[in-house]
Amino acid sequence: MPPRIRSSQALLLNGCSSPLLSSFTPSHTVAAAAGAAQTTRQCPPSQHTQTSYFSTTAPLELTRLRRDFETWLRTQGKRYRDPTPGEPCRYLGNTKQFSPKGKVFPLNPEFISQPVLSESAREKIWRSVMVDAQPLKAVSAKYSVDMRRVAAVLRLKAIEKQWEQEGKQMALPYAKSVLEMVPVNHLTPERPHEPINDIHVHGYTMQQIFLPTSESREFTRADAAKAFGEHILPVDQKMRIPELLAFEKDLVKGEERRTAEENFYEATTKSERDIADRELIKSQLEEKRKLRVDTDRFEFRFEQISVDKAGRKGRSRSAVGWRYGVPYNDRRRGVVKIPTSVE
Amino acid sequence: MVVKIRLARFGRTNSPFYNIVVAHARTARNSHPLEVIGTYDPVPKADTYDKSGKLHKDIKLDVTRARYWVGVGAQPTDTVWRLLSLVGIIEPKHRTPPKFQPPPSAAPAAAQEV
Repeated sequence: MPPRIRSSQALLLNGCSSPLLSSFTPSHTVAAAAGAAQTTRQCPPSQHTQTSYFSTTAPLELTRLRRDFETWLRTQGKRYRDPTPGEPCRYLGNTKQFSPKGKVFPLNPEFISQPVLSESAREKIWRSVMVDAQPLKAVSAKYSVDMRRVAAVLRLKAIEKQWEQEGKQMALPYAKSVLEMVPVNHLTPERPHEPINDIHVHGYTMQQIFLPTSESREFTRADAAKAFGEHILPVDQKMRIPELLAFEKDLVKGEERRTAEENFYEATTKSERDIADRELIKSQLEEKRKLRVDTDRFEFRFEQISVDKAGRKGRSRSAVGWRYGVPYNDRRRGVVKIPTSVE
Repeated sequence: MVVKIRLARFGRTNSPFYNIVVAHARTARNSHPLEVIGTYDPVPKADTYDKSGKLHKDIKLDVTRARYWVGVGAQPTDTVWRLLSLVGIIEPKHRTPPKFQPPPSAAPAAAQEV
């Protein structure tokens, strides 16, 4: 295969046939010679910027734009290159007016991020539940963090601690930079994280009902719930931490705050213990229905069921096993198949 | 007609799942049976928090009905026979031979001689 000559270089060689020039001449000599030739013989100038390992063409010097950019990086742009920690958002553009905390996307000022729990806050929650053995409800009420969030923090922290023990590498720089962008809550008593008493508003309770009752009758919240529907729960029971009601009532009654808090702590502890007991009994009953037969390879777990569940016609939904003559829509389109629970 | 206790394969491709059914022998495998007395999931599973690596298989069974059907002469297939024998409803068809164990004194004595 003959040696390839780049088209412009070939042009140069053809156009200005100087005895000085050969394909082995170093590139800067070529450029200089071309410059000289341009003045005398009007040769097209060399315009290479690319240098490959096989090319003998020298790269051009920095362009002005490039030079300006480097200067900018050394002066104004330094803050983007080496950011100071704690600075909210670093975006190019209107740099005089930095977006305040919460406005994560400067071009979308309508979006304001909710504050998230900081690393120390999550550690605080984990410590108070796992080390100090406080009930979940009490921790939730103490820091004003939703119960579900407390539970999520505990689950994630458990994984984090396990990974730490296993020596797994964690994406800490990523977490750090994300936490720098969004508003962060460190869980101080004077700054509640989020409302914890929000209840779900049932559609039935949105209607207006004219309910005649006698004047002498005491009409409570429970009665109001009954009026909306038999299955509607009163607000007191719908709250995630109904023990807070007793706490407030204690305060209204004139109890000391300390006593009320102690009562609240006791009540939440008891409720947590009750739930644990209930779960234990449930699992024990389940275990009782099971017979485990261990063989060399597998353990066979026989669960006792009743064929009567199939109903009189044998087509009941609660019947055991795959059903006959009924479509099984596990692969139907448009149905979310992501599991909703983790064992 | 002979009444059998057998498995009816449901589930999907490569993920079998069986109903343990009581059906007439001449009927099709997945046809409507006389009775569904349980299920058998042949895919061995591990417990989520169990690190021992031991696997288990889940079976649901109405033991009383199984006893009844065996009592009135229903004939279990080999696989169902094996399952029913695990619960003690029938005697196992094939007794597993006891594992060979070398006599305890022979091996060390031989080693000493060499």
